[in-house]
Amino acid sequence: MTTTGTRLQIDHVSKRFSRVGQSTLAAVDDVSLVVEPGELLTLLGPSGCGKTTTLRMVAGFEQPDDGRIYIGDQDVTELMVYRRGIGFVFQNYALFPHLTVFENVAYGLKVRRVPGRDVDRRVSQVLELVGLPGYERRFPNQLSGGEQQRVAVARAVVVEPRLLLFDEPLSNLDAKLRVQMRAELSRLQKQLAITTVYVTHDQDEAMAISDRIAVMRQGRIAQIGTAEELYRAPRSEFVAQFIGRVNLVEGRVLDVTGGRMTVALWGGSVTVAAEPGCAPGTRLSLILRPESLTLVPETTKAGATDVLVLGTVRSRTFLGEKVEYTVEVAGALLHVVTYDPAHRGVVDVGARVGVTCSAAAARPLTSS
Amino acid sequence: MRRPLRDPVLLPAVLLVWAAVALFVLYPLVRLLILTFWNEGPSLDAVTGLVRDWTNRSALINSLALAVLVGGAGTALGFAFALLTVRANLPGWARRAIDAVVLLPLISPPFTAAIALIFALGPRGLISYHVFGLTKVNIYGLWGTLLSETLTYFPVAYLTLKAVIANIDPNLEDSAFSLGARRWRVFRTVTLPLATPGVANAFLLVSAASLADFATPLILAGTKFPVLPTQAFLQITGLYDMRGGAALCFLLLVPALAIFIGQRQWIERRGGSFVTVTGKVGATTRVKSLSPAAVVALGLVCGLVVTLVLICYLLIAAASLVRGLGADNTLSFAHYAHVFSGGLKAVRDTLIIAVLCMPIGGLFAVVLGFLVARTQFPGRRALEFAAMMNYALPGTIVGIAYLLAFNDPPLALTGTAFILVVCYVFRYSLAGTRATTAVLAQIDPAIEEASASLGARRDVTFRRVVLPLVRPALLAGMTVLFIRAMTAISATIFLVSLDWSLVTVRILEGITNLELGQASAFSMLVIALVYLAVAVASFAMRRLNAGSLGQAGTLLGG
Amino acid sequence: MSVKGWCIRLAALVGALLAASVAPAAAQTINVYTAWPESLSQPIFKAYTAKTGVQINFLRLSTGELVARATAEKSNPRADVIWGAPGDGFAAAKEAGIIEPYRPPTWNLISAELKDREAYYTAVSKNTLVFMSNTKLLKEKGLKPPTSWNDLLDPAYKGQIQTADARTSGTALTRMLSIYYAFGKDEEKAFDYQKKLHKNVQVYTKSGGGCTVPVGLGQTMVCVAHMPDAMEAKKKGYDLVVTFPKEGVAAVIEAIALVKGAKHRDQATKFIDWTFSKEMQDLLDKNDVYMLPVLPGASIDTNVQSLMREAKLLPVDLDWVGKNRKRLVERWVNETIKD
Repeated sequence: MTTTGTRLQIDHVSKRFSRVGQSTLAAVDDVSLVVEPGELLTLLGPSGCGKTTTLRMVAGFEQPDDGRIYIGDQDVTELMVYRRGIGFVFQNYALFPHLTVFENVAYGLKVRRVPGRDVDRRVSQVLELVGLPGYERRFPNQLSGGEQQRVAVARAVVVEPRLLLFDEPLSNLDAKLRVQMRAELSRLQKQLAITTVYVTHDQDEAMAISDRIAVMRQGRIAQIGTAEELYRAPRSEFVAQFIGRVNLVEGRVLDVTGGRMTVALWGGSVTVAAEPGCAPGTRLSLILRPESLTLVPETTKAGATDVLVLGTVRSRTFLGEKVEYTVEVAGALLHVVTYDPAHRGVVDVGARVGVTCSAAAARPLTSS
Repeated sequence: MRRPLRDPVLLPAVLLVWAAVALFVLYPLVRLLILTFWNEGPSLDAVTGLVRDWTNRSALINSLALAVLVGGAGTALGFAFALLTVRANLPGWARRAIDAVVLLPLISPPFTAAIALIFALGPRGLISYHVFGLTKVNIYGLWGTLLSETLTYFPVAYLTLKAVIANIDPNLEDSAFSLGARRWRVFRTVTLPLATPGVANAFLLVSAASLADFATPLILAGTKFPVLPTQAFLQITGLYDMRGGAALCFLLLVPALAIFIGQRQWIERRGGSFVTVTGKVGATTRVKSLSPAAVVALGLVCGLVVTLVLICYLLIAAASLVRGLGADNTLSFAHYAHVFSGGLKAVRDTLIIAVLCMPIGGLFAVVLGFLVARTQFPGRRALEFAAMMNYALPGTIVGIAYLLAFNDPPLALTGTAFILVVCYVFRYSLAGTRATTAVLAQIDPAIEEASASLGARRDVTFRRVVLPLVRPALLAGMTVLFIRAMTAISATIFLVSLDWSLVTVRILEGITNLELGQASAFSMLVIALVYLAVAVASFAMRRLNAGSLGQAGTLLGG
Repeated sequence: MSVKGWCIRLAALVGALLAASVAPAAAQTINVYTAWPESLSQPIFKAYTAKTGVQINFLRLSTGELVARATAEKSNPRADVIWGAPGDGFAAAKEAGIIEPYRPPTWNLISAELKDREAYYTAVSKNTLVFMSNTKLLKEKGLKPPTSWNDLLDPAYKGQIQTADARTSGTALTRMLSIYYAFGKDEEKAFDYQKKLHKNVQVYTKSGGGCTVPVGLGQTMVCVAHMPDAMEAKKKGYDLVVTFPKEGVAAVIEAIALVKGAKHRDQATKFIDWTFSKEMQDLLDKNDVYMLPVLPGASIDTNVQSLMREAKLLPVDLDWVGKNRKRLVERWVNETIKD
């Protein structure tokens, strides 16, 4: 069961919904992206950002108002759902309640008039693949949530679709199962090498399974890239905030020389890669990830390679392997994460502390 | 939303349903409108004479007043029954007995209740004279009509409200109790407000039924209390004035449609929640909202009504079993012998037509319900509205319109069974359509999308996924069609033919020809058959795990 | 059961039933619309079938329904013959253009007041009106059976009289004509009388015979109805007494007509010819129809005759009735029953 991957191209697609008594609302606004053969691309964003609508347009459940969609070389914009050759996994699984597991999985094959013997073989093969052999005669209401999810996946992949589409497939599962299932989905997708679009609002999930992530906001793609690229170099405050936790601290450019610039921060300065359009005097935001900040005693002096600021611990959350603090610094709150508290100890709420940041850990965010 | 019609199956399906509705609903109405308001040019001459007639003017007011009164009385009575059966912790057999008796007026042929009431409460009636010795009883007029229609239509309110009250979680009442409220206060501040939408819906349903009823006033209203449907009937059959009669019906159409649209909006705003599955409640908490005194009071009222209904129908049963009720009270099976000899053709015809209606109407209802609830196409609202026109119109007018529209080639359907089937299908599929919409509202559209994503065309999805899932609605729709085909008369009185007669028409004949014994025997047979159908349907419903839809009877009113 | 199998079974059922519904009709048939109750019409139709082998399909409708229906079907008539409906219905049918003139061979033997001048319709039989009273109730109140129209105005009968509604029943027209002729064709007097009578009326029934069972059951004391309906109730065993008003009652007609454009015209005319034969006219008496035959020389010497001896039959001017019927009914609605 191998499928040579198919390329998906979404080209300037827009979709507006009109509600009664309201003006039209652009759910998807001029979105373009390409998913390479065999790639798993995740559409990530808060609810209402247009990720599900985009996915549903790829599936054919919704019709774009503008733009084209291509699966492989085929323009499928005008094609009915049932002719697109996709597999879709729904948030609530959407298993046919009146059919058994076998009949559910066999449904797509029967609709395609696959001969009976092949149906039996392929269904048991795919049930084996999702780890549900022997479940053929059960009904959906006799299955646990995780089992239903596996049946839904089996049903989608058994037809060997050109494209696999997931709409928040894990959001109805409990936290532990979610982590387990996402690993399985990832393994399965790699094994089958089916081009996949995956929608979720959970950044951990997205980072765990995606080849690339497209972060969406208000109907547009805010940034697209691998998990690492998005984390290290967010191009907007939104992406920075959405991928991991972040402290945005304002700084002023002191000097620009040879592709580097010096930015004033907390009475000291840091040197970062120059941003186009920045001149001495420009104000910009610096990204300081919580894990690159360190709490030090109040009396510590700033070193040569880091900057230091004094503040008061306002809250503390103990999570076992790490401790999360918020520290009030000049009216603003800084998130700080420290690891290995067993060895390094914890600081009490109310304590005066110093916060240091390695000059190399700061990154500029172009204020646009 | 701009969604082009590009589905290769949806388009033909929509066109087919539109064509059917246009042909069997709109076209006959247009023919009738032309007949009424076209006399070598647009003309109101059919109406002018009518407006001068005092009976017609008071008939309009009477009809509206009667509808409001029957709506109020029927809803109150239905509410009392619903409270008693749902909230009074009655034993199961008592609830089943009440349900069985209450169903009687709803499923019996028209006229039956009115005639039985004369037997029971009329001058020299069993209760009025032989029990209470009253000699100056006047059952004819407003009060008799009101009583008879209330008894006939309160079950609609009862079945609607029963579901509503059963869906009110007793835990809500419990929480009010826990806050220190007393019973009456809990009832007033929690139970009643929660039931209000259901009460309003029941009121509209009962009022609409009263507004369209011509059989009861024909027998009981007398000349002092003319009402519109009866006036229209009299105009056509007594004064040989079809145009005038049609004009009167169009007058009736305005309030009928208003009620209908109001009721529909009501349901829509609440998302059809009176059939929503809310999960099992009540098992954990014993209902305490009714004080023992209230239970006794409700029991008395309902007991009285149940007794009255029972007496009425026992009288019908008695009339069918003696030579001539009141004249020769010796036991005789002569009337049944007649039913099963001379009347057998009518029984057979009715059964054939009723059985034919079921699959055709059931399928039509489900397809229409599906199209309306699940698809987008231009004119969807208009289609929905057009499809329910025949339901909202008085039967007499539908019958005449059909006769006008389908008498000539190429659509010469009069005289065939087909015209009767079509008439029932397009008049009484509404219950099935609504049940379908209600069931679909509980089914995630993703299930259909899943089917499409797996490569199934819309028709395949409909056949393999939707149809099996809406089976309870299909069953309910078919049951209602069967019951209506067995008991309805107003439209079909003009459509029965030399080859196809109906039991209800024979009952009417029996009543007008003084063959009360025969009419009663036919009625008993119809009641028995319908009970059988309802029992089979209820059994099948339970098998389909469709408890939420309740009895098929729940849908009779809608 | 699979949905597919279920659908197939359903389709098969529908197909079979549809096939059954278009079964071919018998070779020689006549389609008849009649207002007569089955008990009166069927023995006569059966006699004809027995004699000729021609099947008679009949549909029983009230006169008004019958005319409304035949009018709607005008361009493609379903009936061949309209049989057994009061003359006023035929007047309306003639006006609506749904019947055509036909003269059976014996037409000339039938007296002029029993047929349409242009032969659109011809009486099959003569019908009239009776008072029928509940014997027990009369005794309770110490009353004698009414024998005059004026007897009915006695306050003792208040709320104790049932009779037919002029808008639905031919019987009511017969009553109005009876009163009109009994009061010397003085319409004002006749309506004045009816207004008074209205005060004693309990309810106007939809059908002409609608009051006969209530009077039998004692729900009302007196019922004014056509004779066949009254005698039918009496036959059932109710304790009733039948009387005639001494001022007289109108002799109205129950007629027959050929439907314009009848599909089985030949058979229909043969049937009409037979209707006016002595053989059929004798059946009225033999079958206890309680109407008088129209053919001179037909048998009339049993029950009907003995009853009719007491009755004073007032001849009716069919033309006048045809012209004034609608006006009379409207006047009744707007004057008599208006409180």
